[in-house]
Amino acid sequence: MKQRSWSDVVLSVWGVLVFVFLFAPILVIIVSSFNVGRLLVSWQSFGFDSFLALFEKPAIRDAVWISVQTGFIAAVVATLLGTLAGIAMARHPGKWVWWFLGLLLLVSVTPEIVDAVALLPWLVVLGQDLGIGLFNDGIVRLVIGHSLFSVAVVSYLVRARLVGQEGQLEEASADLYAKPPATFRRVTLPLAMPAVLAGFLLSFTLSLDNTVIAAFVQVSGTTPWPVYVLSALRSGLRPEIAAVSTIMLVLTLIALGLVAYVLRRAGDSAADIARTMGGG
Amino acid sequence: MRKSAGVALAFPAWVWLLVFFVAPVGMVIWFSFGYKPGIFGTHANDVLSFDRYAEAMSPTFFATFQNTLWVGIAGTVICLLVGLPVAYWMAVKAPPSRRGLLVALVMVPFWTNFLVRTIGWQVILAPEGWLSSTLQAVGLIDGPLELLYTRGAVLLGVVYNYLPLMILPLFVAFDRVSGPLREASKDLGAGKWTTFFRVTLPLARPGVVAGVLLVFIPLMGDYITATVLGGAKGNMVGQLVASQFQTAQNWALGSAMAVLLIIVIMATVAVGAGLVWLVTLPFRTRNRLVLGEPEPSAVSKPVEEVAA
Repeated sequence: MKQRSWSDVVLSVWGVLVFVFLFAPILVIIVSSFNVGRLLVSWQSFGFDSFLALFEKPAIRDAVWISVQTGFIAAVVATLLGTLAGIAMARHPGKWVWWFLGLLLLVSVTPEIVDAVALLPWLVVLGQDLGIGLFNDGIVRLVIGHSLFSVAVVSYLVRARLVGQEGQLEEASADLYAKPPATFRRVTLPLAMPAVLAGFLLSFTLSLDNTVIAAFVQVSGTTPWPVYVLSALRSGLRPEIAAVSTIMLVLTLIALGLVAYVLRRAGDSAADIARTMGGG
Repeated sequence: MRKSAGVALAFPAWVWLLVFFVAPVGMVIWFSFGYKPGIFGTHANDVLSFDRYAEAMSPTFFATFQNTLWVGIAGTVICLLVGLPVAYWMAVKAPPSRRGLLVALVMVPFWTNFLVRTIGWQVILAPEGWLSSTLQAVGLIDGPLELLYTRGAVLLGVVYNYLPLMILPLFVAFDRVSGPLREASKDLGAGKWTTFFRVTLPLARPGVVAGVLLVFIPLMGDYITATVLGGAKGNMVGQLVASQFQTAQNWALGSAMAVLLIIVIMATVAVGAGLVWLVTLPFRTRNRLVLGEPEPSAVSKPVEEVAA
């Protein structure tokens, strides 16, 4: 059995080639961030100048900071709403769960561009026609737009986690005279915790990534990083875009590593982790 | 816990999604029956009609819908053809100790900023870029690479951007097909190709379905890839919708296009599911693989022989 058949060799070569394909543009971006030149596409010489832009250019710094802030708040909102909904679906099943899952399905299959063009006039209605000043705030608008898909993801994750572990522990807790709030806090929440943490970090990265909805709902003054890049696309891409992207990539990888670590601690296999990260 | 108190936990999420998803999308559907009043208005709904849908289906825009569908179907098929062997290799052939690492590697591009990795392709494909000059130096092409800002570049971009969404569910599905089952198939005299097509692949079908849907649905609504790699002209419905809202200021027409996009996506998924069901019907009755309790029916047998 040591002899490798030709089909196995072809399969391995194909696998390696596809991985090279997957990493090609990312490597190009990382290399480009060390380009000292005016334009991203034309290489001049090696240097760290473009990384200084993060400190020297307030527009870039502000955009990154807006993205981080929005990502954090959107992740908190999505995790809170999604966790409660996931627990409700897993522990209090009934006909309503199908309606709710149907709504989540609709949220996850609606193209982002449709959410974007729908939220734009709706926020105008809420903020200007109805005069609710809250909805004119840039961060609030971004958080709303970024949270929609994340609420669905966190709900799926938490539900999947709790459905896998039946409610006997909660019943035992109730039999031992724990009041419902105590059972919720000391039994249900710890059970759901790995999914909650994974959901939080996924929501954060999804929000950092969001370009389409952000481009539509943003107001001037609170431009998040991807929208800044999108507008730079029209005026000419400079190496500092690559540099900041490299920094953001490192941050995202750290967040991803944390998710994988948390899930592995909770006893998931590689396949479980893949399923969780794949959003279902 | 009392039932009503438990169900109330989902209440905040209900409210959030109703206010920020159902209501705005409902408003877009409402707009789509209206019209654009004059140059300065964006929409009006005092006269309701299906005229905007007719307008969105007029030859100029219809070509874009056709192109989007073409890119969507071709992109999904290529993702499946490229991703399936990779997922099988990761789940079955690669050493188990390295599987976690491989999964992590597939996820890195998945979680790199979508826009930035697409820009990476723009840099690679640029006529003055290194790929172009290398290919010219080797003599594979005569002039500068002319792929950027074509439909080919958009297709390459979407395949790249959505490939991880195909590989991950396929990996999970292949991982679930247990090794002993494949060995049993081989012990019973099936070759490795027969084992793959009659045991492994049928059992991995949920993964194939999930992968195809996860790729096709967001791909159809894609806006970024086509903008970055397809150039200013652009030819995806997503761009069309965006331009109606941002530049043309015709919200009624843009809304009708958005609604049509969703309808096209759903219709294609339904037609595709129906086609696959029909095409695989003869194979399924012949190759039926029953795990656990065998079904007690033997009715299908004589029918099959007639069909054969």
